[in-house]
Amino acid sequence: MTTSTDLDLVPGTVIRGRWLGGSYRIHKLLGQGSNGVVYLVQQENSGRQYALKLGFDTVDLQSEINVLKTLHERGIRRSARDSASFLIEVDDAELAGRQVPFYIMRYVKGEPLSLFIFRRGADWLDLTGLNVLKQLARLHAAGFVFGDLKPDNIMAGGYGDVELIDYGGVSQMGRSVKQFTEWYDRGFWNAGSRTADAAYDWFSFSVVCIHLLCGDELKRAARSLPQMRTNQDLLKIVDNQPRLKPYAGWLKRGLTGHFEDSREACQYWERTVCRRPAARRSRKPTPGWLTGAFVVSVGLLGSALYLFFR
Amino acid sequence: MKQILLITDGCSNVGQSPVMAASFARQEGITVNVVGIIDYGTIGEMGAQEIQEIARAGGGMSRLADTRQLSRTMQMMTRKTVVQTIQQAVNKELKQILGNHQSLESLSPAKRSEVVEVMDELTETSPLDVALLIDVSASMKPKLAAVEEAIRDLMLSLGAREGSSRIAVFHFPGSHGDEACVQDLGWTSDLESTRSLFQRLVMKGATPTGPALLKVIDFFRYGTLNGHQTDLGEKGAGEGILSDYVH
Repeated sequence: MTTSTDLDLVPGTVIRGRWLGGSYRIHKLLGQGSNGVVYLVQQENSGRQYALKLGFDTVDLQSEINVLKTLHERGIRRSARDSASFLIEVDDAELAGRQVPFYIMRYVKGEPLSLFIFRRGADWLDLTGLNVLKQLARLHAAGFVFGDLKPDNIMAGGYGDVELIDYGGVSQMGRSVKQFTEWYDRGFWNAGSRTADAAYDWFSFSVVCIHLLCGDELKRAARSLPQMRTNQDLLKIVDNQPRLKPYAGWLKRGLTGHFEDSREACQYWERTVCRRPAARRSRKPTPGWLTGAFVVSVGLLGSALYLFFR
Repeated sequence: MKQILLITDGCSNVGQSPVMAASFARQEGITVNVVGIIDYGTIGEMGAQEIQEIARAGGGMSRLADTRQLSRTMQMMTRKTVVQTIQQAVNKELKQILGNHQSLESLSPAKRSEVVEVMDELTETSPLDVALLIDVSASMKPKLAAVEEAIRDLMLSLGAREGSSRIAVFHFPGSHGDEACVQDLGWTSDLESTRSLFQRLVMKGATPTGPALLKVIDFFRYGTLNGHQTDLGEKGAGEGILSDYVH
């Protein structure tokens, strides 16, 4: 079996496809997914940049490729603004005397959602969240569930554009969820099965929101004894944390699976989160030094007027 | 598909060689996987080596894990083993159809895609029986809560498969000298039955891994630990069991 360390390639290495003959020069490591390592590469003859995923295991990677192919055939796009296909090329490379499968996809510029929200402000969850839900709804409509939804697998960029990365956990509805991560897993919270259904993704998405806005509280709840953990713990956080208040209505339904379908989940988010009454925008209280300065300046004005008219 | 998942934290010290027992299991069509728990670094070089050899003889894989990684490790191994069992069967077929040096890797991506689709289908739908064999010698005591939780979590994942999945749970050594292993739970798919498995155990020092493995092989064959003497199995298994469970 191939392990991740075997696929540690230095920048400058050229990967050549055995079947199609494409060659790609490695620029840098982009990240590690569940089934392989992703590199930023440059196509040798065109100079175009792509992302290349090298697989740890032939069967696992092929299984992921099959899902991407099906999504393409069913007309699912990567994001709302982009009609690019998921898959650009599939091939095998010879590395260290062994045959390693890889595929080429479009390179997505962006940063993990957590970083994006941190830099732009919590308000941006309104829009990025909606875009994630829309992307999930597209997958669900095609009969798939994303499965391993977590902040690291959501890339955000521009003015709230969102793209899901790592399709290794994408599972057919009705089957078992292929990959998941503890905190975002319905089973971890004793809140339901690991069978792939739309509600599984709604649940993970809810935990992602809680994580982004109330990470410490989530961490504390996740540390409780396994047999005691329930989604009541999560619902309690939603109820008690003022930062989650604007999202509470949606999150409660997301955590308990109470949506008709993913379209309703999107519409409800749009209605209750994006179009919420404007009152919320919390005005920061005027800082003390400013009040003080104001009093001083009024005093100065007074004394100036006094001196002037005297 | 049949698997034994052995969870231990040390070296066997009583009875037949566990490596021999694992090899025997493999001949019976049962794959043996082993997790070595290394929470306090107790496993030692001998233990680590033995674990590796048991898995190799049993056609499975071995991993060292601490209790926090246990659940993940067990699920990964179980799933990988299912995939590998299917892959071996598929490769055998391919060799028959396409000649001796053919394997999945040598197919073009387009053909491979079709084969893997069938494999995914089989992975999801083939019936699967996993017998868990837990070492409860004295040093394992502080780890049993984590083991129990990992078993529940494994059941949760297996339960999501489309095909039927069952687990059975055994521990070793038994409470008196000649008892190599004790049944805690017969074949079940019921998540609730995996709670409170090991509550009233009396911990002992010996680690008869080999004899315990042989007993579990019997269980696969006859549905009871006592070979062909059918009825005695339930009676001997007195501790922490849901003996009223009927599948």
